Amino acid sequence: MSPSFRDGFREGFRAFLPLSVGLIPWALVTGLTMSGVGFTPLQAMGMNVIVFAGTAQLGTLPLIAAGAPVWLIVITAFVLNLRFIIFSAAIARGFHGVPAGARWLSGHLLTDGAFATCLEKMLSHPDPQWRLGYYLGPSLWSWLLWQVFAFCGVMAAGSIPRGWSLEFMATIALIVLLVPMARVRPMLVAALVGGGLAVALRGMPLRLGVIVAIIGGIAAGFAAERWHGKDLP
Amino acid sequence: MNYDWSLWGLFILLGLATTLPRASFIVLGARAALPESLQKALRYAPAAALAAIVAPDIFVSGGELSLLSPRLAAAVAAVLAALLFRNPWLPFIAGMGVLWGLGHLLSG
Repeated sequence: MSPSFRDGFREGFRAFLPLSVGLIPWALVTGLTMSGVGFTPLQAMGMNVIVFAGTAQLGTLPLIAAGAPVWLIVITAFVLNLRFIIFSAAIARGFHGVPAGARWLSGHLLTDGAFATCLEKMLSHPDPQWRLGYYLGPSLWSWLLWQVFAFCGVMAAGSIPRGWSLEFMATIALIVLLVPMARVRPMLVAALVGGGLAVALRGMPLRLGVIVAIIGGIAAGFAAERWHGKDLP
Repeated sequence: MNYDWSLWGLFILLGLATTLPRASFIVLGARAALPESLQKALRYAPAAALAAIVAPDIFVSGGELSLLSPRLAAAVAAVLAALLFRNPWLPFIAGMGVLWGLGHLLSG
């Protein structure tokens, strides 16, 4: 580990530390919800380590609990993760000169918070080792917080009675993610059409209605943006 | 509900569905680029997907459309709490509070 890697690591960590507190409620809720749908602590932490994505975890848990087909659950997770393709493309230049192994690790650890914190420095600092450190500091810290507090949530859920419908916390968590997005008009249109279609098409076999609804919502958002004649900020 | 070993297979697939989009361009580097119109359309995917998952949970109970359920009231409380306050815990407190409160009223 070169000194410039360590410098970058320390600086990235310091920049991210105050923001990282926001991860704690998410990790707790995700832990509680995984227990709420009936996972054992081992299964819950297995999902938490293997998937490591709050939105995809919370978004698929209601489908898993409802016994939806595997392909539908996987496609839903993929759609919820599509934003990462954009993030990945935006930050990719920052990994110029970084070896492939470290790139895979960095990709696996890419989160909304790490992206938002690191993007600017990743595109501007000249030293690849420093950049990698600056990225991995916040990313590894996020990973640690995510695992520790999800575990706390899993353990806390054991002492809460079943009748309290903890699985509804996943729905609330998704609402909390959705509300700030829907403040922008075309996003609101995408959400209304996506939600409306999902309800209207709930009778379709294999829960296919969810996929049709998502595609319809994306198309509606895109169309609303054109209609509005304005780009998103 | 109990789950068998296939749950672990599902976790691995979900892990791939997460890591591959994340790693895509970071690993590919300068060898690939995403068309701008596709990038624009993709921004709507999370909102559309979240709403498509949430809406049936809120508006449907027992396969029927239901506009007077504790879940819908709880969702409205959570939306209001998220819109009006910055506290990250409040939507959960408001939503679960309404869900439990109405659940008790209706059953008792």
